[in-house]
Amino acid sequence: MASATEIKAASPTLVAKVTHYLHDGYRDRSAGVIEEPPALGDARWTDQLILSGWYMAEHGHSPEFREHRTGASGGGFDRLRFKFERDALFAADAAGAEAESARAAVDMSLVLNRRDTARKLTIKVPWYGGGMSFGSVSENVMVSRARAAKAWGTLTCTGEGGYPAGLNPYADHVITQVATGLFGVREETIQAAPIVEFKYAQGAKPGLGGHLLGDKSTTSVAQIRESVPWVSLFSPFPFHSVYSVEDHKKHIDWARTINPDALISVKVSTPTDVDMVAVGSYYAGAHIIHLDGSYGGTGAAPEIAKKNIAMPIEYAIPRVHKHLEKEGIRDQVTLIASGGIRTAFDVAKSIALGADGCVLGTSELVAMGCTRCSNCERGRGCPFGLTTTDPELQEWVQPDWGAMRLGNMYAAFDRQLREICRRCDLPSIAALRGRTDLLRFVAEGE
Amino acid sequence: MTLAPPRPDVGRARTTGPDSEPLAEPNASAPRPPAPPPEHYQRYHIDTRHMPDRADLPTRFRVEVNRFELAKLLFKEIREYWGDWDVVLSRPCVYGVFSGPVGGFAPRPHLCVGCLRCTIQHPEAVTIRRNPQWQAWGDEYLKPAMVETLQQEAALGAVPVKGQGYRGRMGGPGWDGIWTDMSEIVRPTRDGIHGRETISTVVDLGAKPMYLRFDAAGMPAGETPAVSQVQLPMVLDMPPVHAMTPTIAAIWAATAHDLQTLALLPLRVMREEGLSGSQLVPVVGPGLGDPAGLAELARAPRMVEITDAALADEVRAAAPAAQVALRLPFAPGWRDALLGAIAQGLRVIHLTADYHGRGDGAFIRDLVIEAHTLLVEQGLRDQVTLIGGGGVVMAEHVPKAIICGLDAVSLDTPLLLALQFQPDGSMESRETARFVAPPGLEGDTDWGVQRLKNLCCAWRDQLLEILGAMGIREVRRLRGELGRAMFQEDLQREAFGGIDGFGD
Ligand code: SF4
Ligand code: SF4
Repeated sequence: MASATEIKAASPTLVAKVTHYLHDGYRDRSAGVIEEPPALGDARWTDQLILSGWYMAEHGHSPEFREHRTGASGGGFDRLRFKFERDALFAADAAGAEAESARAAVDMSLVLNRRDTARKLTIKVPWYGGGMSFGSVSENVMVSRARAAKAWGTLTCTGEGGYPAGLNPYADHVITQVATGLFGVREETIQAAPIVEFKYAQGAKPGLGGHLLGDKSTTSVAQIRESVPWVSLFSPFPFHSVYSVEDHKKHIDWARTINPDALISVKVSTPTDVDMVAVGSYYAGAHIIHLDGSYGGTGAAPEIAKKNIAMPIEYAIPRVHKHLEKEGIRDQVTLIASGGIRTAFDVAKSIALGADGCVLGTSELVAMGCTRCSNCERGRGCPFGLTTTDPELQEWVQPDWGAMRLGNMYAAFDRQLREICRRCDLPSIAALRGRTDLLRFVAEGE
Repeated sequence: MTLAPPRPDVGRARTTGPDSEPLAEPNASAPRPPAPPPEHYQRYHIDTRHMPDRADLPTRFRVEVNRFELAKLLFKEIREYWGDWDVVLSRPCVYGVFSGPVGGFAPRPHLCVGCLRCTIQHPEAVTIRRNPQWQAWGDEYLKPAMVETLQQEAALGAVPVKGQGYRGRMGGPGWDGIWTDMSEIVRPTRDGIHGRETISTVVDLGAKPMYLRFDAAGMPAGETPAVSQVQLPMVLDMPPVHAMTPTIAAIWAATAHDLQTLALLPLRVMREEGLSGSQLVPVVGPGLGDPAGLAELARAPRMVEITDAALADEVRAAAPAAQVALRLPFAPGWRDALLGAIAQGLRVIHLTADYHGRGDGAFIRDLVIEAHTLLVEQGLRDQVTLIGGGGVVMAEHVPKAIICGLDAVSLDTPLLLALQFQPDGSMESRETARFVAPPGLEGDTDWGVQRLKNLCCAWRDQLLEILGAMGIREVRRLRGELGRAMFQEDLQREAFGGIDGFGD
């Protein structure tokens, strides 16, 4: 078992050396200055998508020389195209002042509260950051995300691991997550939150609770979680106090008693009856139904759960959207999709399938240097300083740099989404919702 | 990976619970082991132990170092950071690939996990490539990543856990086109963290009449239940012909005993090796053994498998206490053969596809659904046990096969891969598949038994994950629960049906 004394923090010189090498590496590899790493990428996140993520995080716009829109998974988003997409690559930067002003005129805002209760809340872009707990990622990563969220008028989420002090200056942009282990949940953090997110399930491990390995449960992590350092932490599945939609309503009432002004988001996975779950959550008082599909997730999870339990988000969105419409409540609830949203095009396709907006997770880590190697839980954690609490490794991501990378990626996403709306002749991203007529289904490889 | 330790209170409360029972014998005339006293209750548990690889298998990645560039880099860093020795000596690899006696000049690729940090940081000095030898593992059905997973499960006995999301293709043909259901608020029990600790994986194999009949004296008449309980919905199928050795037969027998399940072996092999026992199912048929040989086994089997329904009477005569199972390949005419066998009184049917899951022009997934549905429509399903195998090569295939309608699955090639047999060409059928055995396996039964126990424990734990997520408390209730499965073709049609180009 590891102990705090065995791990030394990195010296400033070492931090400077490693970050210098890494930053150059991300830049040169993604720009094509040096060879693409031959072992990079997989079917969902191809080498081109990862390198595009690094490129956008460096430059603030998409690389026109790479396939940055879709992966090669052979299904879902990767078989959908917007009808206007004919070229092999998509030029988001259609030249000309007219195109520029048309893009600028597109309303990108996302209304999060469509009910009469709680505060009115609209974010400036149709996405926000998903929950990544302190412990699963470092405080530096959390602060990077919070800074970018603030700069872009959107939100990020604590995940189930409490609220490190570094987030306090960004409280208006930080969602407090309440998950089954209740780790780090305190009245103050609920009172400070614009949104309280109840995580019933998560797409990467539907039906399973969270799991933080002992090696990552450092003294500071344990302190915030009010647990014992270096001991593995399991979150139960599901909430031990919820057996019905009535129990779920009690949960919501409890949060609203503490903070009547907070919006309530209910994060659920995608079972066969996901449409009924969404309706139940709405009637229990939720403002946001957050569907987390089975192919995403940034934490460690059993491979069997990631691949096989619950449906991919592409299939869940239209099912829930149509069911909410049938129930006559579609315009009183905000439908958010996550779990496999990799690119701006995935965001746009999700909205065209019926979501109002998306939650990003892995794409944010990719922007900060993730290679999708899947070693997050191994040894000291992420060797790039992302999913780690190792005092040395976490220094590879400094909040200034991380926020800059995320801000650039957001800028690239924003620009692409505006261009998609312009090409579809839509005045706002909200007008794209449910417009499956703008999509076409393509043969694999097309 | 272990389950929760036994709890004395559970033992007192449920002395005859399915998990606590020893293997049931098929009828009263066979010897019955004494029931354990209540205080000896043990929750079903598979002992796992790290059992390292025996064969020298290819590494996943190749680490290519340009020594000249590395020397230049070191020289530059020594000059630049002179005195800051932590900086000079820092390595990009946190997994020890460059931490050998001469560092990066002799990297240790077996430790490489492909994080790519070294090559992002020092592209001029290091290149990481996927190893073509690793990529050549398995065959066109059992892909290299599957082989690697099987080997890890067999070595560690643990559920494979990885960071970040799913990396593979979306859905696909066969088993990959199924997603299992889950419940947001239901869990199987209130015990334990996830309620998984008390999920039962026991299944009954055998005859289950729909009701009992009694004669005038009040004694049971007609068909009575004759079931064998096994602790796992997994049995070990006959090893491929070209892998069958005395050691393999011994490993099969000992593994089935330790796991409290069944192993199928040709009767001929059992006789040659002097094997017998309630956990062994002799298979009788041309080239496998003659029914008359059953009488020569030291201990009577509780189940015998036949390859031809016409052998049933001979087997019943030679082994009257045994349940008779029919091995029925998914070949043209299987539907009639299935119904005919049931009409003939056979109550355990072992349906087999080839090692790639193919049979009668379809994949085993669809064939099993068809068999299950056929028996449901005929009102026969609850009287019959369906075991199925062929193409079940990953842990997730087990619950999916059960959802499609099997009571239990039979395992074939994954067991060989767990023992590090290297396929020699495509593994298509029991008769034709050829393998290269790992060095030193002959005679070392213990290694092989532990590898198979580890594999089955990892698979059982993954089955529990699926059951727990669904809120199902016993695997028996999963059988044929097609409503708790989501099929890609259905989901895709529902989601994308109105989109231009769909269905073209
Ligand atoms: S360990 Fe690998 S997959 Fe995990 S965050 Fe780091 S780079 Fe990404
Ligand atoms: S890829 Fe990662 S694990 Fe492999 S040698 Fe490089 S740094 Fe080490």
